[in-house]
Amino acid sequence: MSAESLFTRAAAVLAGPHESNAREWPAESARSVWRALRDADALPPLDTDPAVLVALACEAGYRSTWAPLAETLLVARPLLAAAGLAVPDGPLTVASGPLDVRFTHVNTDSKVGPLGACGTDDAVRVSGTLSRVPWARAADAVAVLTEGPSGGPVLLLLETAECRQVEGVNLAGEPRDELVLVDVAVPAERVRRVPAALVREAEWRSGLARAALIAGAARGCVELTVAHTASRVQFGRPLSHFQAVKQEEAKLVEEAALIAAAVEAAGTALADPDAAEFAGWIAAAQASASVAEITRIAHQLQGAIGFTELSPLHLSTTRLWSWRDEDGDEQVWYRRVGRRVVEGDSDRLWPLVTGS
Amino acid sequence: MTLSTLITGAVQLPPETRRLRQEVRDFLDAERAAGTILGRPDSWLTGWDPAFTRRLAERGWVGMALPRTYGGGGRGNLERYVVIEELLAAGAPVSAHWVADRQAGPSILRHGTEEQRRRFLPRIAAGECFFSIGMSEQNSGSDLASVQTRAERTDGGWRLTGTKMWTGGAHINDYAIVLARTEEAEDRHAGLSQFIVDLRDPHVRVEPIRLLSGEHTFNYFHLEGVELAADALLGRPGDGWQQVTGELALERSGPERFLSTLPLLIALVRQLQRTGCSPDQHARVGRLTARLSSIRQLSLGVAAALEAGRPADVQAALVKDLGTRFEGELVNEVREILPVAARFDATRGSFPELLAAAILHSPGYTLRGGTNEILRGIITRGLELSS
Repeated sequence: MSAESLFTRAAAVLAGPHESNAREWPAESARSVWRALRDADALPPLDTDPAVLVALACEAGYRSTWAPLAETLLVARPLLAAAGLAVPDGPLTVASGPLDVRFTHVNTDSKVGPLGACGTDDAVRVSGTLSRVPWARAADAVAVLTEGPSGGPVLLLLETAECRQVEGVNLAGEPRDELVLVDVAVPAERVRRVPAALVREAEWRSGLARAALIAGAARGCVELTVAHTASRVQFGRPLSHFQAVKQEEAKLVEEAALIAAAVEAAGTALADPDAAEFAGWIAAAQASASVAEITRIAHQLQGAIGFTELSPLHLSTTRLWSWRDEDGDEQVWYRRVGRRVVEGDSDRLWPLVTGS
Repeated sequence: MTLSTLITGAVQLPPETRRLRQEVRDFLDAERAAGTILGRPDSWLTGWDPAFTRRLAERGWVGMALPRTYGGGGRGNLERYVVIEELLAAGAPVSAHWVADRQAGPSILRHGTEEQRRRFLPRIAAGECFFSIGMSEQNSGSDLASVQTRAERTDGGWRLTGTKMWTGGAHINDYAIVLARTEEAEDRHAGLSQFIVDLRDPHVRVEPIRLLSGEHTFNYFHLEGVELAADALLGRPGDGWQQVTGELALERSGPERFLSTLPLLIALVRQLQRTGCSPDQHARVGRLTARLSSIRQLSLGVAAALEAGRPADVQAALVKDLGTRFEGELVNEVREILPVAARFDATRGSFPELLAAAILHSPGYTLRGGTNEILRGIITRGLELSS
């Protein structure tokens, strides 16, 4: 089956009817999205073209889909696969942060380091708190990056049922839960030592996933705004006939187009390991940065109705206001990009921009 | 045209462009070593250097998208894009052939007679024939259909009378393509035609208009009863409006709409490499880099659409508004990142002098090629018509 038809089937599922009170029951909603994707044979297999996955994440952002689609497809799955861990089938999420990680089976014969520095296998016991984990209550499992018991990063696959959950939400009501781990035993087959490069990859992948969602929600803002200014009549003519409105609306369209172009380019670059990281940073930076202008103009042009739940605009804008800061705001990405441009003593700016 | 059709898709440059890009960079390194002035902002407007143009032409990089039959390179528009973006990023002096290469060549290829193609295109590709744009007038800026220049039929051809304005390079180029009214018409977009006018004609009088920097690139260009043979008409009489607007997507979406001030940013980065760079300076450089990269992706999308023969007028307007506003923002950001007093009288090529050149040229970025306020109207209307 071609990648395009997979995208078409999946996009049709996301466009379909939502759970009517998804905001009250986000976990149920996420599970029903997964069920619908499976029923339509539209759950992307692991070897799906990454550009299609990015396009799907955009679609999820556009439809304000109540499910961790971007987190699963663009972050958790590729990280688990890269680390050689088994990839579960259901909704997934990712988290990182300092935890107390100890070997379950301490190697008492080891002469290396203090007692506990070595295990007879990789099985660990984990305690600590992971905060603001996206969709934790709806995910079957969470991929956790943290420092391992003998130094150096490890990737763990935790089943969410093994953790205590404290519910929290972002500005749009999407789950951002706390996971409390009390001496959770993680068997060796769900633990991998990973290179530092994978930690970096986790960061830019999260940024890119968020950027793809932002690109979609920005498109939603444009479409609602254009429809509103074309149909709303004041002083005897549609709002879109006022020069002042045209000027602002064009800037809204431009910022949304800018994000879409950066995200598409990053999606294409995923196939090229040399270019993927920088392209991901650029997409993440531009997406976070453009949110302020997009939400400002969309709300200004849609007037009082957009400020209320009578209009669906808030589904996009409240998400945008949270997404731009989750996984790193524009300043974080700007500094990374800037450091890469300035470091060394050769002219790197233009070669980086052109990817060659 | 919803937003999704406005974004023409991520463009992967064809693999052969990788080598081409390296060839251009090697050429530019050699030029730098030879002391040709490079690294200047707005070099496509003011960097007039026919010898540089001829060296480019020897390598096949002028008129490179024109067919080989007419002396061109027979390469694609995306390959041309790679060459010109490299030249602009390097601030190379490309203004002599800029209009001939971007506009006059493709326009003559598309609308010209076989005789006109054979007469002009090989010389354009050889870097020996330079063109100006004869569109704007004193009372016709954004509203081009209101041009007053008239072309009357004579026994052997046409007689042109009127005054063009803001005509870049009219005092040093060879020809201008002039938009003139050939017929009064109810529909103001009808009755316009394009003519190829020899700038050395005794009835052409060129009068300088100095930029606020004192530089001379713009002119009045008086057509005082210029007698033209019938074969000076470009395209069909009355089709001038369609012909002119057909050029606009190409004129508005190219890399010269966002790279005019890039050489200043590159110079800034060199300064920061020497002096050290704070986290805030890193972030500001990163901001400009992210925006630049994103705009370039949009611009490439338009180039690919044009290459595939798809219309892209609205997308081109979008690129031009974003890109030219960026050119100005860059200058102001650079001031804030590394406060240095701009000096037009400092050593040519030094940082304060480059900053001065970029500042003094900044009013032009969002005016030339269609005022941005008008372009925004095109964007809004384009989206509304489609939804």
